[in-house]
Amino acid sequence: MDIVSYMFSKSIFVGIVVGILSLYAISRQKSDLHTLLLTDLVECAMLVIIAAIGTDLAEALILPGLVVGLAEFLAVSEILVYRNEMRKSNLSNNKKLRLFEEFLAKEEVYVNSVNFNKMEIIYSAPKFIGFILVLYGAFLTGFTGGAIMASGLLFYLLSQGAIGNGVSLKDIKHSWEAISGFSGIMWAFWILLGFAGFFLFPEHYLFFLLIAGCALALKVGSKLGLIGSLRIRS
Amino acid sequence: MSLNIDSIAGAFYGYVPFGDIVFYFTEFSLIGFIIALFFTLVVYLTKPEKQLESQIGDFGDKLNYVSLEELKIRRLMAIICGICTAFAMLTGDLFDYALFLAVIGIANMGIVSAVKKEGVLSAAFYYGIIAMISTLPLFGASALILAKTGTLSILELAKNSHDLLFQKIIYAVGMVGETGIAPFYAAKAEMFRAPGAPYILMIHLSSLLIIVRTVEIMLNIH
Repeated sequence: MDIVSYMFSKSIFVGIVVGILSLYAISRQKSDLHTLLLTDLVECAMLVIIAAIGTDLAEALILPGLVVGLAEFLAVSEILVYRNEMRKSNLSNNKKLRLFEEFLAKEEVYVNSVNFNKMEIIYSAPKFIGFILVLYGAFLTGFTGGAIMASGLLFYLLSQGAIGNGVSLKDIKHSWEAISGFSGIMWAFWILLGFAGFFLFPEHYLFFLLIAGCALALKVGSKLGLIGSLRIRS
Repeated sequence: MSLNIDSIAGAFYGYVPFGDIVFYFTEFSLIGFIIALFFTLVVYLTKPEKQLESQIGDFGDKLNYVSLEELKIRRLMAIICGICTAFAMLTGDLFDYALFLAVIGIANMGIVSAVKKEGVLSAAFYYGIIAMISTLPLFGASALILAKTGTLSILELAKNSHDLLFQKIIYAVGMVGETGIAPFYAAKAEMFRAPGAPYILMIHLSSLLIIVRTVEIMLNIH
């Protein structure tokens, strides 16, 4: 029996005993630095166990084991150094520690610096939604289309009011007059041109139906849109 | 009853013949590899989340965010962790696998300790102590397997029966200490309440995949 085989079980035994003794010592330690040093001793015991095999392959395994162990040792010691620095700076601040302090502490307020009015979507979304609704209402025509167009206008105006971007009183007067005038003209188109045209020229019914439908849509849309500008005025 | 590598890990697709360290592909290891690489990509591409801690009354709300400096080191560590997890899925060498575990342990420590808070650094320190201690059972068990069977290759060990129960138990203990308990230390430091979500989740993902892979290896070698 060669020397390696003879020493194998004894070396393994020594390695494990060293490891267990180091664990016991770690459990008795109060200082973090001593804990770290004793942990390195456990890694040395690991190297003893690998070295006990005593072949070429074991020799090749010791080096990566050692490197990994050292890397972990360096990382942990760096963490320990940093934590101790941080603890020292915390102590030098002379903070008074109280029970449930983290629930009572008044921290620095960051939230006031966040400006929620700067959100892009508040400005871009109402225009888009209003535009889509007006387009869809124009496509539908008739009373339903008018209602949908009106809801688009209403939504746009109300959202402008909500942003605080309301138009001035003079503008509202202008637009009020314009919209009501437009509504009256469309009423005339609907009743006088479209409806009367049905009875006067029944052979061109499609033409007059289209006029009546579009005029009705525009009339209802503009009429209900007035409610939005009313709301802004109040 | 004799277990072979096909019955547990699925179909065997082949191996990369690079010297001693053989990477082999089975259904199991390929799925694990793809999952780990995919989530590494996710970690690389996503921005860390920000948190608004609201408090009762006028104690003031607080916006938590990850500074660029902290983000860089944590993302690097998370990517290293993901790549090591991915290749730990493929490796066919027990000692190589143990080395991957150790590197994942260091990367986990890096992810945790990038947060500059005393409690978090404390948890990272104790995790590091546990990881260093468990290199003894991990590397020791692979050394004992080498001494008993003369090889470290999982493919070779899966062929014949070697009666490795004790060594496998020590190896599993080492795996648990090195990587398996990392989520517990992340939880202990209340990392989930800290900002920067995707990097913390890499710890969990690697730990989960490594545990499953270790079980597969432990069932394959016998």
